[in-house]
Amino acid sequence: MAVRRRRRRQRGPDGGGGTDGAAGPGPLPAPGCSQRGVCATQGPEGAEAAAAVAAAAGGQRSAGSPGRGRGRKRPPAAGLLQPVKLSRAELYKPPTSEELQQLKETEDLFHSSLLRLQIEELLKEVTLKETKKKRIDAFLHEINSLLSSIPETSETDLTDQAWLPKGVKVPFLQVPFSVKGRFRFLPPAELKVVGSYLLGTCIKPEINVDVAVTMPREIFQDKDNLNQRYHRKRALYLAYIAHHFSKEKLFGSVTFAYMNSNHLKPILLLRPQGKDEKLVTVRLHACPALGFFKPSRFYPSKNNVRTAWFMEQSTSKEGALEPPTPHYNNSILCDTVLLSHLHFLSNVATDFPGMKDGLALLKVWLHQRQLSKGLGCFNGFLASMLVAYLLTKRKIVKMMSGYQVLRNVLQFLATTDLSMTGISLAKDTDSSLPSLADFHQAFEVVFVDPSGLVNLCADMTASKYHQVQFEAKRSMEILDDSTMDGFQVLFMTAKPMLRAFDHIFHLKHVSKLQSACKKMQLLNELMDRGGNYVAAALPFIVSLLSRGLAGRALLVAHSLPQTPEWPIEAEPPKHKDIGPLAFGLLFFPEFAASTLEKGPQANRPEAQDFRTFWGEKSELRRFQDGTICEAVVWEANTVCQKRLIPEQIVRHLLWLHADIPESSVCYTGALLESVIKTGQEASGTSEEAMVSVVCSYDDLSRKLWNLEGLPLTVTAVQGVHPALRYTDVFPPIPMKPVYSFHTRIRNKDLLLPSEDKPCPAYISPLKVVCHMEGSGRWPQDKEAIKRIKAAFHLQLAELLQQQHHLICRPAVTHTDVYKDGYVFRLQVAYHREPLILKEVVTPEGMLKYQDTEESQQLELETVHLPYLTSSLHGLQQQHPAFGSTCRLAKRWVSAQLLSDHISEECVDLLMAYLFLHPAPFTPPSSPQVGFLRFLNLLATFDWKNSPLIVNLNAGLTDADCTEIKNKFVAARSRLPIMFIATPKDKWTSMWTKERPSAQILQRLLVLASESLRVLEEQLMDPLSSQDVKMVFRPPLDFYDVLIHLNPNQIPRHLESVDRPVKSFSRGVVKNSAGVKILFPVVDYDPVQCYLQELRDAFSDLALFFYDKYGGEVIAVLWKPLSFQPQPFKVSSMKGRMVTTLNNELVCVPNVEAILEDFEVLGEGLVKRVEARTEKWTI
Amino acid sequence: MAAAAERVAGGAPAGYTALAVKFGPRQRSPHCLLVKEHRVREGPGAAHPPRRTLFVLNVPPYCGRESLSRLFFSCGPVQSVDICDKPEIGEKTETLKSKFFNLKTTKGFRVAYVVFRSPAGVQAAKALSQRGPLLISTESHPVKTGISKWITSYAASVVDREELKAEVDAFMQDYDKQIAEEEAKAVEEEGVPDEEGWVKVTRKGRKPGLPRTEAANLRVLERERRKRARKELLNFYAWQHRETKREHIAQLRKKFEEDKQRIALMRAQRKFRPY
Repeated sequence: MAVRRRRRRQRGPDGGGGTDGAAGPGPLPAPGCSQRGVCATQGPEGAEAAAAVAAAAGGQRSAGSPGRGRGRKRPPAAGLLQPVKLSRAELYKPPTSEELQQLKETEDLFHSSLLRLQIEELLKEVTLKETKKKRIDAFLHEINSLLSSIPETSETDLTDQAWLPKGVKVPFLQVPFSVKGRFRFLPPAELKVVGSYLLGTCIKPEINVDVAVTMPREIFQDKDNLNQRYHRKRALYLAYIAHHFSKEKLFGSVTFAYMNSNHLKPILLLRPQGKDEKLVTVRLHACPALGFFKPSRFYPSKNNVRTAWFMEQSTSKEGALEPPTPHYNNSILCDTVLLSHLHFLSNVATDFPGMKDGLALLKVWLHQRQLSKGLGCFNGFLASMLVAYLLTKRKIVKMMSGYQVLRNVLQFLATTDLSMTGISLAKDTDSSLPSLADFHQAFEVVFVDPSGLVNLCADMTASKYHQVQFEAKRSMEILDDSTMDGFQVLFMTAKPMLRAFDHIFHLKHVSKLQSACKKMQLLNELMDRGGNYVAAALPFIVSLLSRGLAGRALLVAHSLPQTPEWPIEAEPPKHKDIGPLAFGLLFFPEFAASTLEKGPQANRPEAQDFRTFWGEKSELRRFQDGTICEAVVWEANTVCQKRLIPEQIVRHLLWLHADIPESSVCYTGALLESVIKTGQEASGTSEEAMVSVVCSYDDLSRKLWNLEGLPLTVTAVQGVHPALRYTDVFPPIPMKPVYSFHTRIRNKDLLLPSEDKPCPAYISPLKVVCHMEGSGRWPQDKEAIKRIKAAFHLQLAELLQQQHHLICRPAVTHTDVYKDGYVFRLQVAYHREPLILKEVVTPEGMLKYQDTEESQQLELETVHLPYLTSSLHGLQQQHPAFGSTCRLAKRWVSAQLLSDHISEECVDLLMAYLFLHPAPFTPPSSPQVGFLRFLNLLATFDWKNSPLIVNLNAGLTDADCTEIKNKFVAARSRLPIMFIATPKDKWTSMWTKERPSAQILQRLLVLASESLRVLEEQLMDPLSSQDVKMVFRPPLDFYDVLIHLNPNQIPRHLESVDRPVKSFSRGVVKNSAGVKILFPVVDYDPVQCYLQELRDAFSDLALFFYDKYGGEVIAVLWKPLSFQPQPFKVSSMKGRMVTTLNNELVCVPNVEAILEDFEVLGEGLVKRVEARTEKWTI
Repeated sequence: MAAAAERVAGGAPAGYTALAVKFGPRQRSPHCLLVKEHRVREGPGAAHPPRRTLFVLNVPPYCGRESLSRLFFSCGPVQSVDICDKPEIGEKTETLKSKFFNLKTTKGFRVAYVVFRSPAGVQAAKALSQRGPLLISTESHPVKTGISKWITSYAASVVDREELKAEVDAFMQDYDKQIAEEEAKAVEEEGVPDEEGWVKVTRKGRKPGLPRTEAANLRVLERERRKRARKELLNFYAWQHRETKREHIAQLRKKFEEDKQRIALMRAQRKFRPY
């Protein structure tokens, strides 16, 4: 009955309406549109530059087509969400019982209807189609007939492998080689398909069909359980089959692989010939005849590998106790229960449609978290067994939907620690069977199968299980959060290690683990694992690290060792062939950077333990409460170094306990941070500088509040400079000017840049808004308010000079204050001024408030920016990595020459989004991981169809979020291309209103995805050069003209990505208390002046790109549209000349003259103008 | 970017004359100024008298008033030079000049009006096209650009405190006087009916009226609405029950349609490929 009902359900949403095709938007995006199609909503205004940048992004230039849409009304762009319009009749027609039932089911069985639809779509995408199944079945039949036709061989010794044909190598590492026993090949006794294919739970893209080949009883002898004899026979058996199959035309490829990368268990992979090669992989498992092995021999406490044989000693030591070999035993037992597991699972799966769906979802979930492949993985088989377990425990019932199955499995995983309390599927409590305690003794994670013998999680490390648990917990939280799109986050977002963990390190050469095994005395484990030192050492290494990082790391995870498949004529891969092993650390942000590791009191017995664990780093220390404790203190002075304390710990512990030298540990925690370090201090990333700026600012604001003699008091002082929210890429450093370097204005304590010296260092004014008390004495006229504000600026300057001896430089719109080596720019604000600017009187005499450009600008500066600054300042207090991550992101944007085309606040908000809504990840605790996620966000976010909601200070409720989303869809075409909503700014997205344009965003997107790809490649490959600065060097070949600048006139030259070898004196020294101080040169950056003039003069002909942090090149891109010959118009003559083209008078840009203008305008700054005429002609 | 061969530089549209102009002797390619006699339909204002005024188009950014008057000096004595961002239509309203406030600077390529003392200057200027390119910056009168210009403007941005203070004070005195006059007038008019018998009610005075602002209006409306809502019973009649149920199902349907549309879109974008 359940099956029937389900079918109806599926038909419901699609077949019911009948208007399906008409209601939905056109299914295909327009061909010209880019993938995400950000260009779709551009107005006619942007069309021009569209072509320029889009062409640059695409690498080719097409002058003809762009701008065709200019002025014309466009049809609704394909691929854009339209508000749904339903007729009244349709909305209010009486519901059918079917519809009611479906609505009810959605409510009961799924979270929401959207989730239900999404899941159905996903399942459609991953499940195998019926037609394909037929092809696979046919293939399996052919394999069956082929197998029985393989001729048998005569019996030989196991070590005598001369009979094996030339073209095939034994897929087994035969170490030690000599072993007793005899082998002959006989055709298989039975051939059975097992596993997910029969259950219907296998999912695309990798369809694996497991086939169990039962080796006849005659092949085996007594004692085959010992010393890998069974394993070797198995390998020989497969090798012989492989040889015969390799000659068949039926197969596209015949290769070997290790089952779950366990090198004791080779399997044979068969793929069909021709176009089906990608469709399916048939995996042949050889297994022993039923009932041949006595189960009691393989209890976890039994030994089946003799030490003497393993060590290749002739005689065993008398009386020595042989150690148990649980993993070895488990590997044999697994083969014996293949068939019974199939029966068990197919019993479970009957009448349970939700299981198939649930398992498919689980498999996708596991795959996205990289948990489903490699040695000790949590694979699909394990997931099905877990579902079966929950069914027997009545936590799942057969009525449940796939979504509910998934939820229950996740819930179980989240709450049960299988490494402490194992579970068993065995029903009868046979006292002769080993108990759970026995299993716990032998294995780290325990999940016993129905036979009561096999531990399904034998190879899994406790750490891996904890990671699964952690993921399950996070996922449950996400599913319960109604504001989040759980589907996207859970199933569609991949969590590669680099983006999931705060710090990553690699063991470059796993062969070093051999010595680690020796050092840790893991001979028994080695024997148990058949000599696989990686598998033997890994659990110990991980637990060592977990202990060392206990207070700092939430999770210590490792990548799963994986061996690729290999051709049958090649030697099987060695243990070291798994490549570098990666470890990931996830931190508690509060404790990760603490310099002290406090141990037990010196007189306690645990103290000895502590000392041996930390080695000579441990020392006795007296603490403030009088106790004398063992403690380890790590050397770190700056925040940047403190972030790397875990690196010190890892390196120290690995060397101390596992003999792994520092050179083979490749730690990629802070590689990127070099780009936000300034020239002077090589070690720090200037978080400290930021703190001292904030201190100085606090002091100033206190002084302002207490200023005496002002006619109105100061009510609030609010900082708006990025340094005051910790996100300035290069925060100001206290400076004192050298007088001889400058010219001086007479009678005023002021310095001027001098023409014959290099440009003085750039001092950025720290903008501070100073709100004055409201009062009836303020004039109610905008011109008068301007005068009064100017008077306040004058007076503030005077009073600060009198009362606090600060030298000031008043101006009309602000007052600059030179304090502690910083320059603060005070700007007086009156809270009613924006209102007064907005006032409009309607013809009826009613007073109305209307936004004007002036009022909006003023509000932005005096209301919104201070609020944003304080919110982000608060965010920094919660997440210490926020500031540095922002700085990295901004540095990257600027390095790609786009900093003038996207506002700083916009980048800050994007970053705030990553910290506030990190799902499926955790909030980043290191700048590097935050930066990688930033790139990923830029590259993948669908700006066209969704608003980015940044819930600062949790100021938005669920209802608000839905409202924003709905209004966004309704008004999409009128909103900025990048729409960011915050609690104080729900509808306008003020920080992205002007910038970036659709074209710049598109370019940003391309750059981000490319940078991310390069960076991940570099960071995941410890053997490469790891030149991460590569993504900070912009590609310049897109641009039409390059203006090279004179380095001595670039005040921020030292901040460039590749630090210049030659630097100039900038006429400043580090702050030192002087008696008489002259006001330094503030906010003087010739390059910015130059850029301003260029944009003023040529903005309708070209776009200008520059890296404001010390770039040496201004890149110019012509706008193709303005290069089209145009008829003469008085208003568009700028920089053009009139020529005759085909007997018509037209205007074209006077390019030669403009290129010379570039030089003229930048006299003294421009070194040369490089016209890249290979791309265009004059 | 059109083929260079087809072009003939230095052409001019009807009515205009093209004058080549270069920054200095070192530059090779000139810009071309387009000049014509200033004529407008509505009758030119006093600032730009007819026949004596030359309208100049496409003035490069580094070319200021002084340079222009020097360039055209050879054609006859120049009375004044006006530079604007775009051609001005009608009379220009002269605002009070202030040294500190509401400074307007013109940017980029601009237009200019050169007023000569005599009409002959205009004709002579048109004839300039026969000569070689004019130079904006000469040895005797160099024009500052680049670093030296920026340093100069940095120096100019320094404000003289006394001067600023004096200007602000003067302005505020005028402003206060004006306000006082207005207030005196208001006091005078209070309670006095005009010729049709209307009495003006203001916020000031003995009986302040409701302020006539949009916000106040909205506030009143909102208060009314809330009062009405309080009086209404929502779950009283059977039809009300029915309505809410119907509404609920309609909402669900609408949501479902929306979701379906969203899904269709995502399917089209291949958003359901997990990897």
